[in-house]
Amino acid sequence: MSEDKKSQVSRRQFLNYTLTGVGGFMAAGLLAPMIRFAVDPALQPETSGDFVSTGKEVDSFTNEPTRVDFTVEQQDAWYNSKVTKTAWVYKQEDGSILALSPKCTHLGCIVGWNDNEDHPNMFYCPCHDGLYEKNGKNIPGTPPTAPLSVYDVQVKDGILYLGKEIPRKEA
Amino acid sequence: MKWTKQDVSVYVTSKEYIDTAFIPLVPFTLNQSDDELTSLAFQKEVIEVLCRQIEQEFAGRSMLFPTYVYGQSSDRESEVTRLNAFSKQIQEKPFKYVFFVTFDSHWKKDEGKLEGNLIWMPVMKDGDLQSNETQKVIMDQVQQMKELVRLYWS
Repeated sequence: MSEDKKSQVSRRQFLNYTLTGVGGFMAAGLLAPMIRFAVDPALQPETSGDFVSTGKEVDSFTNEPTRVDFTVEQQDAWYNSKVTKTAWVYKQEDGSILALSPKCTHLGCIVGWNDNEDHPNMFYCPCHDGLYEKNGKNIPGTPPTAPLSVYDVQVKDGILYLGKEIPRKEA
Repeated sequence: MKWTKQDVSVYVTSKEYIDTAFIPLVPFTLNQSDDELTSLAFQKEVIEVLCRQIEQEFAGRSMLFPTYVYGQSSDRESEVTRLNAFSKQIQEKPFKYVFFVTFDSHWKKDEGKLEGNLIWMPVMKDGDLQSNETQKVIMDQVQQMKELVRLYWS
């Protein structure tokens, strides 16, 4: 130890300072995530996830597929645009809603429900005569090789919300 | 199919399935009254929305080509020749069905000379693309076009 005791810190003091410093860091390290956990929800932007309202009441759907058009905001690296999407929606036997994507799994044309006299109660694609059953399953022998995709369905306040399209593999 | 990298990559693998072409015809000029200019710009927007919707309907069998722009006051004869050259090339690919979509009624006069089918829609001079009314009118027109195209296919 040097002669000049006034400007020098004693070993005890040094240890005190160090321990306080380290203790302070540890406390901060413990508290920071806790504070963020409490504050973050208030800072999140308002979104209802990926589900978009169709504006249609769930009770209005019958056993017969109806066409529902709804707008979705689509964002890529350059454009933020509103896109209209379509779904064929109906209530199944067990009461659950089935929302099918109308895009033919062959090359993407929009299929219609029950609009071809030769194929009643089927989804028909006018482009290359693709056919699907009511549950979206593709009929073998026609161009599509997979069933129609299904929309993720959510019900909020009795209104139908549709999310992402989920492709289905050949059963 | 749209004229985009993604769609054309699919088109080149499935050319035999895609035999229908949609070509929007849009006039352009700056030599008109201010109101007319705004109306022309609006008409271009509407035609493009219309064609985008019909492309969505028939994505797997049709190709929406880039908008064909021409001077509003340019010589009709030369425009018909220019458009026909374009259309002939498309038909050789082979696109069996070529549809020209336009609000410009001047094309009606030369309809017989065109290498393709002219779909002339009654013009919408003005409106708000975002309003429900305009959307409904456009969807009605898309429906009519859909039925027309299916008639040609059958």
